[in-house]
Amino acid sequence: MSQLEIEDVTKIYGAKRDAVAAVRSLDLRIERGDVVALLGSSGCGKTSTLRMIAGFESVTSGTIRVGGRDTGRLPPAGRNIAMAFEGYSLYPPMTVRENIGFALQSARVDAAEIRRRVDDMAAMLEIGNILERYPSSISGGQQQRASLARALIREAGMHLLDEPMGQLEPQLRALLRGRIKHYLKERGCTVILVTHDQTEANALADRIAVMEGGELQQYATPAELRDRPANLFTGTFIGEPPMNVIDAAPVLDGTRVRLVLGEGVSLDYPRDAFGEPVVRVLGEHPRVTLGVRPHAVRVAESGAPARVVVNQWLGDQSHVAAAFAGATLVAVEHDRVSFARGDTIRVAVAAEDLHLFDATSGKALAHGAEVVA
Amino acid sequence: MRRSPIERALRGVALTVVVVFFMFPILWIVLMSFQTNETILRMPPSLDFTPTLANYKALITGKLVSNAGTLDIAFMGNLWNSVLLSVSSVALALILGVPAAYAFARHKFRGSEDIAFTLLSFKFAPPLLVLLPLTLYFQKIGLANTYVGLIWVYQLICLPLILWIVRGYFEDISPDIEYAHRVSGHSWWSTFRKIAIPLARPGIAAAALLAFIFAWNNFVFALVLASADKQPVTVGALAFVTASGIQYGQIAAAIVLSIAPTLALALVAQRYLVEGLSLGAVKG
Amino acid sequence: MNDGAAAPGATDAGEGSLESAGRGESEDRETDSVAKLSLHGITRRYGRETVLDQVSLDVPAGGTLVLFGPSGAGKTVLLRVVAGVVEADAGEVLIDGRDQHGIEPEKRGIGMAFQNFALFPHLSAFENIATPLHSRRGEGATRAERRDTRTESVERVARLLKIDHVLRQSPGALSNGQKQRTSLARALVAEPELLLLDDPLRNVDAKLRFEMRLELPRLLADQGTTVVYVTQDYKEAMALGDRIAVLVAGRVEQIGSPEDIYLRPATKRIATLFGDPPINLLDVDPECDADGPYVTLSGRRYPLDPALAVAVGRQCTLGVRPEALRFGDASEPGAIPVTVEAETPLNEKVVDLVTTVRGREILVSRPAHLSGPASGEAHLVVPMERALLFERASGERIRPRGGSPGSPDTDAGGAR
Repeated sequence: MSQLEIEDVTKIYGAKRDAVAAVRSLDLRIERGDVVALLGSSGCGKTSTLRMIAGFESVTSGTIRVGGRDTGRLPPAGRNIAMAFEGYSLYPPMTVRENIGFALQSARVDAAEIRRRVDDMAAMLEIGNILERYPSSISGGQQQRASLARALIREAGMHLLDEPMGQLEPQLRALLRGRIKHYLKERGCTVILVTHDQTEANALADRIAVMEGGELQQYATPAELRDRPANLFTGTFIGEPPMNVIDAAPVLDGTRVRLVLGEGVSLDYPRDAFGEPVVRVLGEHPRVTLGVRPHAVRVAESGAPARVVVNQWLGDQSHVAAAFAGATLVAVEHDRVSFARGDTIRVAVAAEDLHLFDATSGKALAHGAEVVA
Repeated sequence: MRRSPIERALRGVALTVVVVFFMFPILWIVLMSFQTNETILRMPPSLDFTPTLANYKALITGKLVSNAGTLDIAFMGNLWNSVLLSVSSVALALILGVPAAYAFARHKFRGSEDIAFTLLSFKFAPPLLVLLPLTLYFQKIGLANTYVGLIWVYQLICLPLILWIVRGYFEDISPDIEYAHRVSGHSWWSTFRKIAIPLARPGIAAAALLAFIFAWNNFVFALVLASADKQPVTVGALAFVTASGIQYGQIAAAIVLSIAPTLALALVAQRYLVEGLSLGAVKG
Repeated sequence: MNDGAAAPGATDAGEGSLESAGRGESEDRETDSVAKLSLHGITRRYGRETVLDQVSLDVPAGGTLVLFGPSGAGKTVLLRVVAGVVEADAGEVLIDGRDQHGIEPEKRGIGMAFQNFALFPHLSAFENIATPLHSRRGEGATRAERRDTRTESVERVARLLKIDHVLRQSPGALSNGQKQRTSLARALVAEPELLLLDDPLRNVDAKLRFEMRLELPRLLADQGTTVVYVTQDYKEAMALGDRIAVLVAGRVEQIGSPEDIYLRPATKRIATLFGDPPINLLDVDPECDADGPYVTLSGRRYPLDPALAVAVGRQCTLGVRPEALRFGDASEPGAIPVTVEAETPLNEKVVDLVTTVRGREILVSRPAHLSGPASGEAHLVVPMERALLFERASGERIRPRGGSPGSPDTDAGGAR
C-alpha cells in the first residue's frame, strides 16, 4: 500500500468562463519513506497539488488516498500530516522554542524530552541561539528555519513542505540541505516538498515530479531527469546552465550519421556510435531537435568550429559561450581556460551525450544510443 | 461554497430587512415630495394618492402659494450657495492639500508626523467648540457672512480628508519610480506633475468626492456664520418651518433636491469611494 | 572584463587588500583624472544606524565595477547617493573629476535601472523608454523631427534588447523578463556615460537570468559605458565585473579583480560569500617542528607553506574550497577517514556532505563525470597548496611573507 496515491486529480478554480485548470489529470504515487519534490515554475500547479493533499483545497475530480484511505471530505487535522508553509506562519506570541515544541506539547510529550528534541533540531538548523526570541525579532531566514523545525520535529505520516528553503541565506543552504536529507532518511519520513529551485530538489528528493501548466511532465529520480528527460521542456528546465538546444537535420549515408546544423556546421558520427534502433529513428525524422548539456560539450583539438563570445570564470568552473552553427552554445569547463572573445575553438560532443527530441512535439526520441520507448 | 436553500432564504430575508430599515426614510421622503400637505398629514397614511409636482414647482419658481398667501422661497439661491461653497472649498483644499500630502509623504522632516496628526485632529473637534470664537473673530475682521469666510472655515472639513487620504496614496508609490524619472533628466516638479499625481489619481478623486459630500452636508458652520442670502440648502431647509405651519411637502422636495447631487455623484463614483476609503492599503 | 585568463601583474590602487580600501590620498588623486566616478569617504546614517561608513572607490572610464554584498550592506543606498536622489552625510561624489554636491539628479547624466524595474505603470513601454529623451534638446528643428529622432532611438535600443515587439504594451502586461529589459532599455537609450544597475536580474527567473549574465557584459562593453553594478549573487559579480567591491555592513572590505576576491579573499566572511558550496572553515592551531610549520587535521600532520610560519602559535582557521578537496586512498599520506552522510547530484558536479571522526562537517564537490563514494567510509585528501589560512578571532587572512613564486599570493607585481 502506497503512502499517497493521487489518481486522475484535476483542480479547477473559478467558474464557467473564468475557470482556470490549475492541475490536470494528475497521477502520482508515493511510497512510504520517499522524499518527493514537486518542481516547476510559478503557476505550474505544484502548490495547488500540495494544498489538495493537505486538505486545504477540495479536489474538483479524481481521488486522493492517504495511507490507503480516501481523503474525500477528511479535514487536514485528520490526515496525520505535518506542514511547513511558505509564509513561515509562526505563532507571534510564543518564543521560537515554544513554537517548535508546540505540537509535542499538544501530544503531551514529557517536558525534558521536548527540551532535548527542540535543542537537537535547533542545532541541526543552526537556530540554537535564537530559541528564546520572538518571531518578530528574528530575520526572514531564521523564521523560515524555525517554521521548518516545527514541521520536521513532529512525527507524522507525511511531511509537506512548501518552498522550505527559499529565504535561506545562500551560505547555509548547502550545509542544511545535507543535514536535512540525512535527518529525513534516518527517520524514514515520507516527505513531499514544493519548490521552484532545482538544486534544492536535487539535493533533497529521491524522486522529482516536474510540473508545467498543471500537467505532470516527468516523475523520476534526479539522475533520470538529467540523463533521460522525457521532453524538451523537462530537458531545458532541469540544469543550470540550461541544456543547449539546436535544430538538426539527420543525414544517413553508409557508415556515417551526419547531423547537419546551421551555417554549414555538422556533427559527424560513425553509425555504430548510435546503434541501429536510434539510426532508424533518425531516418524517420527529417528534422530533430538536439539537446546537449553544457558540461558534455568538449572543447578539443579537433571538432566543429565555434567562435568564443564570452568566457566567464566562476571560481570552481568556467562558462564559455560560443557562436556555433548560428546559435549560441554554452560549455562548462572545470579547469580554468583562457579563451578570449573572438577566439575560434573546436567543440565535440560524444554520441552518448546527445539527446534527440521530436522537432514538433518536443517529446524525447532518444538519449545517446538508447531509444525512448 | 454550497449553501442550502434555507440558508439562502434566510440571507435574503435578512438583507431585505436591513435594506428596508435604511432606505425607508428616504423612500418616504421621496413619496412625500410628490404629495400635498393635506395628503401627507392624512391619518392613516396611505400609498394611494395622486402625485403632484406643485412642491417642486414652488421651489423652482420661488413662490409658494398657500392658504396664508404667497411666500417667497429662496431655495434655488440656497442650492446655488451649496454648489458654490462645496466646489470652491474642495478646489481650495485640493490646491493646498495635494502638494502638502506629497510633502508629508516624501519628506520625513522632524515633527512631520505630529503636524500631520494635528491637522487631522481638526476633524475630531466638535464644530460647536470653535464656532463662538470664530463668530467673534469673523465679525471683527469683516469675514462674517462672506463666501470667502465660509470657504476658509470649510477647509477644516475638507483639508484633513484630502491630506490623509492622498498622503497614503503618495506613500504607496514606490520611491524608485520617482527616482527613475528624476534620473531620466526631469526636475522634481515635473516628476510631481507627470508621475506622482497621475498615479495617485484614484486617491485624489476619492478624497475630493468625500470632501465634497462632507462640505455639502455641513450644517453648523453655515448656520452660524452665514445669513439668509449665503446659506446652503442644509440650513435653507429650516425656512420651511414657518410660523404658519410646517410645509412638509416642500421640505420633502427640498430634501430630495438637496441629496440628489451627492447621491448621484456617490453612485457614479462608487468604485473610487471604496478604494479611497481603504486608503490604498492593500499592496499589489 | 573577466576573461578567465589571469591578468599578469595587474596592480591598481585598491587591489586585493583591506588596507588599500582607504589607501593614501596621492594614489587616489593620480587616478582621479582617469576615473570616471570617484567616491571619497561617503557616509550615511539613518537614525542611529550607519548604513554607509567611509566608502571610497574609483571606477575608470568604460570599466565595470560590481558592488557585491549581502542584503542590508548598503549597496542600494550607495547607488542612490551616486545618482543624487539621496544625500550623503559626509564625503564626495566626483564624476569626471567634478564634485556633484548640489547637482540635481536630472543634471548628472546618469542612466539607472532598478531592482523592481520601477517602470511608470501609466505609460506604455515605448513611452517609458523614451522618458530620458524628452528632457534633452534633441536634434531637429521641428517637433516632428525631434519626435522621429526619439522614436528611432527607442526602437534601436528595443531591438538590441529584443523587446521591440512589446513596445506598445503597458508594463502590467509584460512578463518579468520583458519588464527588466524595458527598464534596462530606459537606462541605456540616452547613451549615458555612467550607468547604475541595481540588481536588475534579481526578480527574473533563473533561465533568463543565466542568459542575461552571458549577454550583459558584451552589451555593456559594446556601449563603452562606465558601469556600477549591484548584486548579491557572487556568480553574477564574477561574470560581470572587471573589479568587485565587497561591501559588508556599510564598509568596503575588499576591492579587487574576481580572481583576487576568490583566490585571495581578505577575510573569512568574503571567502564564504564567494563560492557554492561555500568554503569549508576548519579551526586549527599551527605548530612548528624540525620539519617546518604544520597543522593537525584529524590527527594527521599537514605541512604548511613556510611563508605562513608567522601563524605558528596563533589560533587560526583553515579554509579549503569543496572543489579543492578530493577523495583518495587510505594509503595516501595525510588521508583523513570520513563518513559520507549525504550526496547531492547537481548537473555539472556532485556535492557530498562528509563528517570526520570528531564530527566536523565538510563539503566536497567534484565534476559530475568523476565517480566517487556515494555513502559510507571514505578518505579525504587536503591539498595544502590551495588552502587559505585565517586568523580565528578577527577573520583576516594571513598572508604569506616572501612567498615562493607560484604560491597564490604572489603575482608579477611583487610585494605589496
